Formats: sequence, structure tokens, C-alpha cells
Amino acid sequence: MREKGSGVFRLIDRNLLEVQSILRNNGILISFSGRLSQQLIEEYGDAVKTYLESESRPKNEIFHIFSIFIEMTQNIKNYCTSKTDSVSCDQIAQSSIVTIGKDDQGTYICAGNLIEHTDARPLGERIDALVHLDKDGLKTLYKERLKSSEPKDGFGAGIGLIDMARKATSPIQYSVTEYADNLSFFTIKAVV
Amino acid sequence: MNDIIQPIHIAPTRSTPEVRFDPARHLLEIRGQSYPENAFAFYEPLLRWMDGYLTHVQSETIVEIELQLPYINTTSTKCFLMLLEKLDEAYRQGKKVAVRWQYDIDNESELECAEEFKEDLSLPFDIVPKSAE
Repeated sequence: MREKGSGVFRLIDRNLLEVQSILRNNGILISFSGRLSQQLIEEYGDAVKTYLESESRPKNEIFHIFSIFIEMTQNIKNYCTSKTDSVSCDQIAQSSIVTIGKDDQGTYICAGNLIEHTDARPLGERIDALVHLDKDGLKTLYKERLKSSEPKDGFGAGIGLIDMARKATSPIQYSVTEYADNLSFFTIKAVV
Repeated sequence: MNDIIQPIHIAPTRSTPEVRFDPARHLLEIRGQSYPENAFAFYEPLLRWMDGYLTHVQSETIVEIELQLPYINTTSTKCFLMLLEKLDEAYRQGKKVAVRWQYDIDNESELECAEEFKEDLSLPFDIVPKSAE
């Protein structure tokens, strides 16, 4: 309390403005950062809808954005749940960020979170496998996977990724940034 | 059979639809968004109930399923696929089962979702725009 100029108090005079200009420079309109729960996903989802409605976006676009937003956040949350036994569990759960913004390609939904290094390649490969598929190819794959999936074990990110790719207007992009010994930051972006 | 033809009413939440079954009319209605944390946990009791119901329902009974699902996530989609496959199986065995899906005319994803279910099923499946108000 005594050192008013240090630590978190600085946010008041300088850092928050920096955060805002970073958001603005990247076209980010909405950003949610930190641990996700189902309740937060629902609250955020509603907020996203309300925001887009207030911008008078076409209804179809709002449904697509909402759908991709929900799949992305639930994928992250499921990933965190699958890592409950990991030593990095808490760090992973705290690391999620989901944004909605606009750039020259259109409106995008972009999300990131820490993942264990060994998960990066298989996840990237799943996305790579979708890049060259057209809408019909994605539809066929989606239906196949949906039919053959086992309800009890959940899907992993597989079907959710195909669903996002179907709703996006260009192929899903991703990047992997090494973060620590065992962890990488995985970013995924879908444009509608 | 007695407990199978009891009415069902599950109130909607933000992430789960309203589910109603009227035993007098043999009408099952499911309306609303579906993206719960665990879709299988939500739908499993309904799927199990449906197995029992379809076994016991008479061949001459007309069974109607009314759907309005503006948004269902991928795991919920799997659950609806399982439900519809059960209904289709019963239809192919001679039961009178029909599905009617009312979609929001401004929601292309909902129409597409309904059409994709219909493509792989043989039972009567009407897809109709929701009448305004």
C-alpha cells in the first residue's frame, strides 16, 4: 500500500493505456483472459452476442462467430480438464485468452493457451489436415467423424476443429511459440 | 410401460434446451440452445428413456418429435445424431415416427444442421421455417 508507484498501481497511470493500444492496434474488439469455466463461457458467449447485435451485424454472422467462440473456449477448457494431473495444470488453466476482432481478412476469433510441448505437433497436424479440404470435403469428414466418434470419451479437439473450419471463410490458422521447458503457447485463429 | 409414459419436463438453461414429453399426444419437444459442459451427461438419460419408450410404443401410435435448435455444439450434435438414429431405426421397424424441425429463417447454420441430419435418415423429417410470432 505504501509504494503507490510500484506493481499493480502502475496500471492506473500507464499500463492500462498500453494494453488498450495493443488491443486497438490488433483490431481486438473483445478479449477475455484467464481461467475458463462453463459458467464464464456462457456469460462471455452472451456478451459476445449482445455486442455483435449492438453493432447490427447480420444474424448469420453472429451465429457463426458465437458457434466458433463456444467451440474454441470449450476446447481450451476440455484441454485444461485433461491436464488435471499435470504439474503445469494451474499454469495452463490460467493461460487462456480468447479474442474477437477485425482485420483486413474480416472478423476473426482468435484464442490461445499454454499446452504441453508434446501436444503441439499432433494438434497442428490436425489443423494442417483440414487446410486443403473444400467445403464439401470438410462436410464429409465432419459427418464421418461424428458417426464414428465414441460418445463416452468426448472428442478431443477433432470434431470441433472441423466444425470451425466449416464455418470459417478461410482456412484456420495457428501458431506455436515456445514458452518454457515443457510448455508452448498455442494460438488458433478463424476468420468469418 | 407405466413409468415410460409419464410426462417429462426439463426446464431450459442458458446452455441446455427445454425438453417436454406429452404422453397423451406422444409428442416430444426439444427447444433451445445446447452447449453444456458435458452433453453426454445431459442427454444420456433421455437416450435411455427413448430406448425404453420406442420398445413399448404400439406400431399404430403416431410419435412426433418437434425440434427447435438454434445452436448446438459438436458434442450435442453427436447426441442428437444418436437420438435421431434410434428414431430412424424404430421407423424402419414399422413404427410411426416423424420429426418436424422449425428453424429460424435468419439462421442458415440451423437450417444446414437440420438438413444434414435429414440427409442420412429415412423417417419423415419436415424442416419448416418458424412462423413469425
